[in-house]
Amino acid sequence: MKTETRAWEQLQRHASAQLRPGFADRVVRAARAGAEAVPSLLSIFAVSGATAALCLLAVTLFNTTSRDTDESDFNLAGWQQIAADSEEFAVNL
Amino acid sequence: MEPSQPTPPVELILRAQRGEPDAQRELILAYQHRVAGFVYAIIGRSDSIEDIAQLIFIKMVRAIDRLQAPAQFESWLFRLARNTCIDHLRRQKLRRIFTPFAPEHENVPEPSGAVGSEELDALRHALDQLRPQDRALLALVQEGRSHAEIAVTLRSSVAAVKARLHRAREHLREHYQSPHEN
Repeated sequence: MKTETRAWEQLQRHASAQLRPGFADRVVRAARAGAEAVPSLLSIFAVSGATAALCLLAVTLFNTTSRDTDESDFNLAGWQQIAADSEEFAVNL
Repeated sequence: MEPSQPTPPVELILRAQRGEPDAQRELILAYQHRVAGFVYAIIGRSDSIEDIAQLIFIKMVRAIDRLQAPAQFESWLFRLARNTCIDHLRRQKLRRIFTPFAPEHENVPEPSGAVGSEELDALRHALDQLRPQDRALLALVQEGRSHAEIAVTLRSSVAAVKARLHRAREHLREHYQSPHEN
């Protein structure tokens, strides 16, 4: 037998010996466990959609609240002006 | 490497495609030693054989339902094995670029005599000098694959396989020094 052929056979034997007993069972278990742990495409889209909706809601709420505050400040300033004018008017009387 | 063994019955592959764990297990048992040898010829490290073989078979279990022609199972499996090994080597190379140098980070080859006889050491040394693609090609030949089967596995032409194989064999011969010749 050629030396090289013998060497290839030794390589094969050495590699086979590196697999611990129960290799096939471990692989099947790992493949099944991994398949269950991997989320489906639909659930990935659902989570992404829910996150985007939450972000949109947060932005809308923040925007509405800040607009309300601006409006209140504007009204208050208006009333203060009216009060000041009334006071001035009362003094001048 | 062991010569090519008979292809498993199509029925077994079909059962594995239907997700039967017993059939998947039987397929793994039928191929685990050949795939381990194939992985070692390409990767060249004993400590990675089991991890990479496991990765290959997990991919096989998860993707077997997409295999269109069960008769082509072996070509498909060895293509999966080859691609997984080459990806592993690429990732390792990339990791070395981004990892600060430290001796333990380097892919230190197994020292001579660490794994077996002088003959095996000589072959491992010669394989180390070849490109991973050429090592895969030679490993497929040792698997007993014909040129046509290798062409299917590598999605190439028979003529291209013959030419590449000729070059790979020449390179191997250049670097392979039989211990009996010294």
